[in-house]
Amino acid sequence: MFGKGLVKGLEITWKEFWSPKTVIQYPEAQNPIPERFHGRFVLDTDKCIVCGMCANACPNKVISLKKQKVGTKQFLTNYVMNIQYCMFCGLCVETCPKDALHFSKVINMNQYFYNNIPLVLVQREAPAEQVEQEKPAAKPTPQLKADALAPTAESEVAASKASDKEGE
Amino acid sequence: MIRTQEYNLNFGPQHPSTHGVFRILLTLDGERVVKAEPICGYLHRGVEKLAEARTYTQFIPYTDRLDYLAAMLQNWGYVMAVEKLMGVEVPEKAEYMRVISGELSRLASHLIAIGTYSLDIGAFTGFLLAFRERETTMDLLEELTGSRMTLSYARIGGVAADAPDGWLEKVDKFMDKMPTCIDEYDGLITGNEIFQARTREVGVLKPETAINYSISGPSLRGSGVDYDLRKAKPYGVYDRFDFDVPLGKNGDCFDRFDCRMKEMRQLVRIIKQAIQQIKEIDGPVIGKVPKVIKPPVGDAYAEIETSKGIIGYYVVSDGSPKPYRVHVRRPSFINLGYLDEMLRGYLVADVVAILGSLDIMLGEVDC
Ligand code: SF4
Ligand code: SF4
Repeated sequence: MFGKGLVKGLEITWKEFWSPKTVIQYPEAQNPIPERFHGRFVLDTDKCIVCGMCANACPNKVISLKKQKVGTKQFLTNYVMNIQYCMFCGLCVETCPKDALHFSKVINMNQYFYNNIPLVLVQREAPAEQVEQEKPAAKPTPQLKADALAPTAESEVAASKASDKEGE
Repeated sequence: MIRTQEYNLNFGPQHPSTHGVFRILLTLDGERVVKAEPICGYLHRGVEKLAEARTYTQFIPYTDRLDYLAAMLQNWGYVMAVEKLMGVEVPEKAEYMRVISGELSRLASHLIAIGTYSLDIGAFTGFLLAFRERETTMDLLEELTGSRMTLSYARIGGVAADAPDGWLEKVDKFMDKMPTCIDEYDGLITGNEIFQARTREVGVLKPETAINYSISGPSLRGSGVDYDLRKAKPYGVYDRFDFDVPLGKNGDCFDRFDCRMKEMRQLVRIIKQAIQQIKEIDGPVIGKVPKVIKPPVGDAYAEIETSKGIIGYYVVSDGSPKPYRVHVRRPSFINLGYLDEMLRGYLVADVVAILGSLDIMLGEVDC
């Protein structure tokens, strides 16, 4: 009989109308966030050995870190993630040999200004008894190039010139 | 004397019924389609080229972005190709985890397909109900992998992580509930006379044509061709499950839709069996793979059945840690090949119905 299907559909809709609500009103209510959620990154600075493996594992070159040698140890001075290029794939977290890099459950990473987007996890001065300055382990992404790479490039040029002179 | 003439109509790229950024240039005679020219490329990101500048592992997150509705199936196809190239043994448990997460991905993708299809035809309730279950599916996948859509769960040699405690039970419970939900969609959409009137005898695809145009997936099986890679060339552990391949009869829009609906019932069966079998297996979820993945010089092709059809990954290695070339056989793109002839002679309103029944994914079409 024509129309039987329509009536059945209406029956189902009627039943659903009285069933408990499945929609929640965000942000007043929020679903629980699972343990493995890929949220904002946190870095356990004490555990990090500045090996740079996370930066190498990243497909999009999101992570840039800088280090200085202090005594016999490497000291992490800068750890910046250009989060706008991050795919939240988790390869960096997975690669870290010391379990220093983690995801947290923080979902809100909105920023008003473009300059504020990079996630600065570490930015500090090395202790006084530093011996020599090292080159950054990972290539900084274009954003940072302008301000971070420029001095390095200059010093590289200077260094090559110096070696040229030595050759002469 | 009244003189009539044909005119062109741009359908898309910003039309909601194209399910993405896809454009069809329709030549119309009144309301009838005379010619249809599919124009794609609006979502082209050059994924295949990007692969050449990434290591083998680093390319996995990019495969997610081909078919983001069933990301695990894309991951799986790619890692299978690399595993074939390297001759890596995948642990049994990882194979089961791939089946469970892969079938859940397929469920999420099919739910979108049927939900949005009912929306295309004009039924809003069916869409909402399908999305309700899709939400549960995504929650489950999120709990397993940490992401909702772009899972990046497969790894070369296995999967990224074992199931969290109690996760398998949750999936099992959800699968118990799923058949009643599918009954609801059936009652709401499939049995609806208006829906049937809009989709039956529309966009007929003959079995021979489907084979000639290399169409795959539910669009092929809707025409009655029994070819599902999971049955025809079982990969992974699919030979251990008992399931049927649903087939259509007429090859019209309704049959393609119905195939997806029935396929959901079958994948519920697969997941339930997989959960039962995985409980008896102990072991790692990732096999023995070197830290730096450097496959020997050569090439490998692996294909699996995704929710859209047969996806194939062709990987060429020159012995370095980065692939020399990756090519993807994308079912959505190939299924579009027959669109022009399929649309000819139908009304403008049917264009939406026919395009929706093919269930294309623009990320995959444009790659
Ligand atoms: S989550 Fe992925 S894309 Fe983001 S920083 Fe880590 S490796 Fe890079
Ligand atoms: S991989 Fe881990 S230990 Fe190494 S630099 Fe990155 S966060 Fe630090």
